Amino acid sequence: MNTQPTSQNAPTSQDDQWQNHWQARRDPFFQECLAARQDLLADLKDPAAAQARVLADLIDIGAGSLHWKEQGYDAVVADPSTFRSVLPVMRYDDYAEQIDRETRTKGGVLSCSPVLRWLKTSGTTGTPKRVPYTLHWLLKYRIPAMKAMWGTYLELHPEILAHPWATLDTQTVREDVYDFVHGVEHQAISNRHPQINSRDWNPPWYTSPWFGPDTPTSHSGRMYHRVRHLVGRQLHYISAINPSTLVSLRDLIAEFGADLVRDLREGTLEGRPYAEPDEVAARHLEGVLAQDEFSLVDVWPSLTLYSCWLSASAELYRPRLEAVLPGVAKLPFMSCGTEGVTTIPVDDTLDSQPLAVSQAYFEFVPAEVPLGELLDAGERIETLLHDEVEAGRDYHLIMSQGNGHARLWTGDIYRVDRIVDGTPWVHFTHRDGVFHSFTGEKITEGQVTQAIRQGLAAGGLDTGLYMCGPRWGGLPSYAVVVEVPSPAEELDRELSAGIDRELSTINIEYASKRDSSRLAGLRVRTVRQGAIAAYVESRRQQGNSTQYKYKPFQRDSDFVEAVLTH
Amino acid sequence: MIETMRPPQNIRREIIDVPCDDARLALHVWRPQHTKGAVFYFHGLQSHAGWLWEVGPRFADNDIAFFVLDRRGSGISPGPRHELPGADTLLDDYARAVAAVRQTIGESTPLTLFGHCLGGSFLAALLCDDGFTTSYDSAVFCSSWLGRMHATLGVEERAALATGPGTELWDAGLRSSDFTDEVKYRHFIDNDDLAVRQVTRRSRAVLLDLERRYLDPARRPRAVPSATFVSGMTDPIVDLDAAHSVFQQLVSGRGAQMKFPTDKHYLFYTGVSDDLVDWTSTHTLLQGVNRGA
Repeated sequence: MNTQPTSQNAPTSQDDQWQNHWQARRDPFFQECLAARQDLLADLKDPAAAQARVLADLIDIGAGSLHWKEQGYDAVVADPSTFRSVLPVMRYDDYAEQIDRETRTKGGVLSCSPVLRWLKTSGTTGTPKRVPYTLHWLLKYRIPAMKAMWGTYLELHPEILAHPWATLDTQTVREDVYDFVHGVEHQAISNRHPQINSRDWNPPWYTSPWFGPDTPTSHSGRMYHRVRHLVGRQLHYISAINPSTLVSLRDLIAEFGADLVRDLREGTLEGRPYAEPDEVAARHLEGVLAQDEFSLVDVWPSLTLYSCWLSASAELYRPRLEAVLPGVAKLPFMSCGTEGVTTIPVDDTLDSQPLAVSQAYFEFVPAEVPLGELLDAGERIETLLHDEVEAGRDYHLIMSQGNGHARLWTGDIYRVDRIVDGTPWVHFTHRDGVFHSFTGEKITEGQVTQAIRQGLAAGGLDTGLYMCGPRWGGLPSYAVVVEVPSPAEELDRELSAGIDRELSTINIEYASKRDSSRLAGLRVRTVRQGAIAAYVESRRQQGNSTQYKYKPFQRDSDFVEAVLTH
Repeated sequence: MIETMRPPQNIRREIIDVPCDDARLALHVWRPQHTKGAVFYFHGLQSHAGWLWEVGPRFADNDIAFFVLDRRGSGISPGPRHELPGADTLLDDYARAVAAVRQTIGESTPLTLFGHCLGGSFLAALLCDDGFTTSYDSAVFCSSWLGRMHATLGVEERAALATGPGTELWDAGLRSSDFTDEVKYRHFIDNDDLAVRQVTRRSRAVLLDLERRYLDPARRPRAVPSATFVSGMTDPIVDLDAAHSVFQQLVSGRGAQMKFPTDKHYLFYTGVSDDLVDWTSTHTLLQGVNRGA
């Protein structure tokens, strides 16, 4: 590969530091990623050995922990095959007490590894989860997973390391952290700042000016900085997790186009001196902005690749992505959550990826089994292993991770698409109990109900019948119809703002997506009392079915017009 | 010695039960892949092993196994809060824990005993205790006002304290701003629900008893192989001159004194923390050099 900044501007003294880092890390990063990919490919050909190795490691790191010793789980050391019969299937909330202890000891309770951070993600009740990020998990699982995925990207598209401006990575952010749990940072997994040690995530662009903690923390502010630094450059690749990020990138350029042109022309960044004026880039961008429906390819004709989630609900973004990134090759992001990695892409297949058998010990339960009810009843859960699942069927996923979360019911439903060399290829279909998710907000019915109830209560209103559904559009949103004594447009506005605020408080991912303008505000329409009931009744009669029931949660927003016009 | 060219290592963090008569105390350890030295840490009045989440991993990454015993009633160990057991029980607990550490690491691994603040007083009393027979290689007293009660209380006050049984609580008056300037750590200290900030009058009598045991010229420790007093340049809580004087008496004038550039009390929550860990690590490792080989 070319190691020189080809047609790019030569480094100035102020650029030396990050460009030197880029140059120094490029080849090691490339090699590390390819090696991790090769390790993964080898494991995929022998999944039984990989799963046995992972299980042995989980037992090794878990057996000496207080929780395992107190519960007698350490008995599995003598016979690893008893793992599933000795340890129970757990939900995150079942770990609450142990996590609480672990926050004070910072390790040694759930596993024998120091807790370096607490990972923040939305919980079921509005209280953010605290997922232990341990040194062992970082070194043996999470970072190798990232490297294996990037190994695939680099194998297929080496141009993404062609020069320091070739890649715009929005998967990861670096933000200062101000939230702590008993002294330890509480942050999103996507925030890889500060670097924990030299084996932490360290791509060549780690110190790039559009990547570091000095960039604004607001979504639009950070996006503007990214674009300002890279517009006019030979950008090849944009990496994202959610497709909405890519769509909003294009929208941001449209919204702040004039500012970008001015900054390019004057050599400034948000009006402050930054670099040499770039008249050529300014003119090019002006020309692009003059087009009504410009794409990111118009902004960067050099684009050759983008990546993001492309299955499940993210698949609905595909037409929009085709418009925003026409003709650009795409690769999928891994299936993962804060709780752990499930699949890692090894090729350009968009709708399915191999189970990451080196990442966790995986178990499956047929999706039709009411897992929650069985757990509530304290019943024993029969599970299947990776070599017992069938193509074409959906399963609850249970995984044991190297951070001490053993036999965790993730709530995710995966479909097994096929079996290759004994490894299931799967894709995420939906979350058990989740009503909808446009872009990772994973709204549950309980959260919506709580938000509506609290929003109405704040206005002195009781909660009656209501309906809620997702509304697709340029900027997706949620539509709600509620019955009230005196419907009014003013009340619509008040309730829209109030319920949106409540939902943002309850679900921090929703709040994040709202703040970053990837979701429009929830819109409430008030209707007279009895209106929804009348609509439901009319549907029942139309269908001539006694089976039709009032369903507060709809798959689309067609009900809004139907209720209003009924 | 430390392998300087290797990347950061995957260390272990464990909590081990130490049977001490009727109680099982929590011995915390951060363990490297290959232990080349060990540090046993005596925590102060309000702190506990949970304060050392950054210190433990750094010691372990330096190939030093780092042990911290949560004293009875402190951290996650059982025992009434605000209450110290009798001096004999306390020293017996420590003696057992240090013996357990020595057994774990083996006789040839150098072991440093490190007392921070009030933990230094426990360490000094332990070194003077006939029941303590475990071998160790160096002792470090860090920001410890050795002999504080004897220096600050009059004879009558000490006599009253020693004889009064009282269960009334005495507030140590510790302020996080004396410990550190960093907001992150001050917030942690101020909100640490495991911290002990008050002790009973009876417990203060125990502390006085411990001081007597190492201030008594007739009870000097067996020769301390290597002794160092470490502190900031100044300390808002400790009279360093008074502490140094007692320290030198304790180690028969053979102690070294070392100052790190901070004016705060809890060095591990200041900018000198890494330097202190690294110095202690190398100091410990060097005690293991076989000069006669």
